[in-house]
Amino acid sequence: MNLNSIKEHDRKSAQRLLNFRLPTYFKKIGWIAFFALLTTLILTKFIDGDLELLKDILRRFMLAALFVIVLAKENIEDERIQAFRAQAFSFAFLAGVLYTLFQPLINWIAFKIVKPEKAAFQDLGDFQILWVMLMIYLMFFYILKKQD
Amino acid sequence: MGNANDLSNVFLHLKKARLMKNTLKVERAILNLTQDELAQKIGVSRQTINSIEASRYVPSTVLALKLSAIFNKSVNEFFILDEND
Repeated sequence: MNLNSIKEHDRKSAQRLLNFRLPTYFKKIGWIAFFALLTTLILTKFIDGDLELLKDILRRFMLAALFVIVLAKENIEDERIQAFRAQAFSFAFLAGVLYTLFQPLINWIAFKIVKPEKAAFQDLGDFQILWVMLMIYLMFFYILKKQD
Repeated sequence: MGNANDLSNVFLHLKKARLMKNTLKVERAILNLTQDELAQKIGVSRQTINSIEASRYVPSTVLALKLSAIFNKSVNEFFILDEND
């Protein structure tokens, strides 16, 4: 196997990965799962006991449901939709980086003003970051689709 | 909601600033095709044809060549660069 065939193989593998999409009906499944999990998560607020593990699992599955929606194909997945996907992914990435960099600072400033004794510089959790990125992606994708 | 609309207008402005003109609507009328019929012929959605006609979306070379085959004209006969392009 020479260098060129390795490069070509890598290029094709990357392309296959980038083009991977789930069938359209997964979008419906994703939204149903997301709202069912969100409702369950809200209900856990009214139940006594140590439910941290359950809440954590529900949050993970909520992220997975959003990811399924992101990966699901549109009815007609043409190049215009792929262009919107690329734009939405870019915005989600930028928003994720900015949120991760500045949100702890904003939190710290807010605490310094409201409750100075509790002011501490805290990093964000992976759930928060992924939640913001997936939500920003879905929001921008639907805005771009709707405005067209 | 207002913020989302403002943001959407910013995107629209950015996209419009670099889109070239075209006479797709005229070419389609000559062949007496609806947007939906043309879309089916080249394997895209009706909204994509609508966006191209309204200069909101510039198609790829592949799509432009498919249109060229349908209209039996070269691409630069129905896509026109303007001074900003």
